Amino acid sequence: MIKTTMLMRGMGFLLLATFVFLLALPLGAVVLKSFEGVDGWTLHNYEQALSSGVLKEVFFNSVWVSTIAAVITTVLAFLLAYTIHFTNVAKPIKKIIRLGVTLPMLLPTITYGFVLIYAFGNQGIFSRLFGQPLFTIYGFNGLVIGYVLYTLPAAFLLMHNAMQYMDHRFIIVSHLMHDGKWRRFYHTILRPMLSPIGGAFILAFILSFTDYGIPASVGGTYDVIATTLYQTMLGSIPNFSQGAVISIVMLAPAVLGMITMGILERGNVSYKSVSQQVAFASKTKTVLFGSGSVIVVIALLAVFTPLIIVPFTTAYPFDFGFTLTHFQAVIQMPELMNVYKNSLLVAVCTALVGVVIAFIAGLLSARTNLKSRKAFDVIAMVTNAVPGMVLGLGYLFFFNNSSLKGTFFIIIAYAIMHFFTTPFLMVKNALQKMDPSWEVTGALLRDSWLQTVYRVILPNVKRTLVEVFSYYFINAMVTVSGVIFLVTTHTVLVSTKIKELQHFSKFNEIFILSLFILVTNIVVKIICEFYLNRQSKRG
Amino acid sequence: MNKKAMGFLAVASSAVVLAACGNGSASSNDQVIIYSNADDEAIEVMQNTLNDKGFKGEYIIQSVGTSELGGKLLAEGKKIEADIVTMASYYIDSADAQHDMFIDLTSSKALIDETSNIQLPILGNVGSIFVNTEMLVQKGLDTPTSLKDLTDPQYKDLISIPNIMDSSTGWLLVQAVIAEYGEKEGQQILADLIGNVGPHLESSGSGPIKKVKTGEVPIGFGLRAQALDAKEEGLPIDYIDPIEGNYSLAESVAVIDKEDDEKEKKAQEIAITIANEAREQLLVQYPVALYEGENVANEPAYLKKWTSTLTVELLQQHQAIFNAAKQ
Repeated sequence: MIKTTMLMRGMGFLLLATFVFLLALPLGAVVLKSFEGVDGWTLHNYEQALSSGVLKEVFFNSVWVSTIAAVITTVLAFLLAYTIHFTNVAKPIKKIIRLGVTLPMLLPTITYGFVLIYAFGNQGIFSRLFGQPLFTIYGFNGLVIGYVLYTLPAAFLLMHNAMQYMDHRFIIVSHLMHDGKWRRFYHTILRPMLSPIGGAFILAFILSFTDYGIPASVGGTYDVIATTLYQTMLGSIPNFSQGAVISIVMLAPAVLGMITMGILERGNVSYKSVSQQVAFASKTKTVLFGSGSVIVVIALLAVFTPLIIVPFTTAYPFDFGFTLTHFQAVIQMPELMNVYKNSLLVAVCTALVGVVIAFIAGLLSARTNLKSRKAFDVIAMVTNAVPGMVLGLGYLFFFNNSSLKGTFFIIIAYAIMHFFTTPFLMVKNALQKMDPSWEVTGALLRDSWLQTVYRVILPNVKRTLVEVFSYYFINAMVTVSGVIFLVTTHTVLVSTKIKELQHFSKFNEIFILSLFILVTNIVVKIICEFYLNRQSKRG
Repeated sequence: MNKKAMGFLAVASSAVVLAACGNGSASSNDQVIIYSNADDEAIEVMQNTLNDKGFKGEYIIQSVGTSELGGKLLAEGKKIEADIVTMASYYIDSADAQHDMFIDLTSSKALIDETSNIQLPILGNVGSIFVNTEMLVQKGLDTPTSLKDLTDPQYKDLISIPNIMDSSTGWLLVQAVIAEYGEKEGQQILADLIGNVGPHLESSGSGPIKKVKTGEVPIGFGLRAQALDAKEEGLPIDYIDPIEGNYSLAESVAVIDKEDDEKEKKAQEIAITIANEAREQLLVQYPVALYEGENVANEPAYLKKWTSTLTVELLQQHQAIFNAAKQ
């Protein structure tokens, strides 16, 4: 037993050391940098940043545009989730809604902007269809649409998940009590959903507030905090300590949002048991919500049509003949194919190592009595709150003078840290649900703790680990925000290469590389789904 | 899954991870890395020349925006990843003044204008206005003849220019305006111009020509050579030399002092090959004479140069004027 405890402690220590090295120290470097003056520590950087009107302006720009986007996202996400859970829309349509709304997750955000330009710009597909641009896509409008596309999947999944645990029998009771429509809606749906709705709003806000890809592509003259941070760090006159200050300013709303979300969760309504039988969904309601949701999903997918039209058109917008020449050209360009291979490498490594780290962290946290196990919950909160750009900047400051600069290692480490929260919680929840007596039974049968983990726990958590793999893979494939500070000539990724191609307005290449990412992610998703289905059929 | 299979899978997958991740980071450390701010056409010429001269596989060109590359040079000095840069000449001089970071390069050819001996000019950029003639007619617009003309309200949201914050081509425009009208009137003209440009302020020097070509806007400012190319391709594009002047900038190649003799020697060879061998073709694309004996057809009508030497400090002054005009 003593041996086992030592082993657990050893594992916990190693893992915590990893997090200190790859998370705490880089973030500390940002904080230190923001107080670093010409001679010693100073508040001067903050004074300078706050006294110039620029930061104030972009901060409020960001807050404003993110708020609008978050409101729209929350309403749409609610509509979609409500349609799936509380109407009698046909099952296949529900499935299409669910898959359609999550599709944008498989693409880097920087692609969204270019797709929007080719959909609604002066020569965009829809502008041509309607004879003129419907609105100006550059700037505010483009940002709002882009942010909504980006945050809708996450907000939808959050509400979808919450509604799965709602008891529909309350609606029956409400009917029997002859409640009015609005009273019923408030008590059986809105009130229990308040916490997830608030959560979805905050999540959408934070994601929009900290995203770099969308403003980089379609921001126009509407400056937001993410592009300002990029320009300050990598513009013509780099100013690292100002960059550090801006990233601290960027961190503040994210931390605030996370705290609010924690408070909101206390208002969660829990049901004793759950019945998902849809109750009393009138035909009008089904048709109304069903068609509304279908329209949203169609609009969402329509926005992405340039992605499959433009790169296969001879010379958009002059010659609409179908061609494969652009596609063949990209395949024959070794530098572009190398970039794709780099992305694949990073995604596979991130997913494999990520699974191991999430599993060990979850295991120590859910199935041991180590003192350090609480630390993992704190770590998961930190990785959730820290924006990708801030963490990326921390890596830049912390690793810039080490031999790790410019390696795949720091990119992979960044991705594992940045996306740690969800995988950790997935594993932890799965492990907590398992019978707590397995370890004791294992010990009685004279299996060592490791043997029990290997023979009993691991096989039972396999499904979750596959989901974690898929989550890590897809996110590593599409991440832009933090890696822009970390890539070098040998480690360029598709998502950052797109930014370089933007410089030369090479949209065919941008779209084809985006398609590569999309198809790769779909393939990985299908393989994982296939595996999960086979597993659940077996037993 | 049985125990053996699982064990095998675990070993195999960790082996793959280690091999792949290790392999990736250690790849080809002896390749010479070239950071270039040049347009893709120019990069293609350099690549073809180097491949012809037997350097295939020994180098890798990474294109970086002018402002980003400038920032990297000033911030990182000799620690920059690149062994060679091709960059606006004033940036190379300023970075060298700050970090003493480049080695001397000599060419057998005589230059028209004196430059520092740490760089060899490879191409000259000249700015001009260009228009999409079909769209001008379609929208019923007057053909502009000067930069000041572009401040006319009829061109509202119909002009695309590069941003001086990101692109040295954008500086060519600002130089022409400030030299002709002075700082005060110049700033007003820039303010009106930026007002007309609206969302079409581009970070890349080649952004405006692409927008004029695809018809996003009928009028742009950028490199004269690009408009010339488009015209020769048969597109409805024409260039207009603004009466304020066609200002020009030289782009040079320079080798970073890495204190690694062997690689530095190869970098030096590559840099000299770019300057000497690629020059002929670059001159066709960027028709500005830089070396004695070079002849250029189709000279710009109002070729001019800023009176003093271009420096990063001057750029910053002009950026400040531009930003003040933007407010």
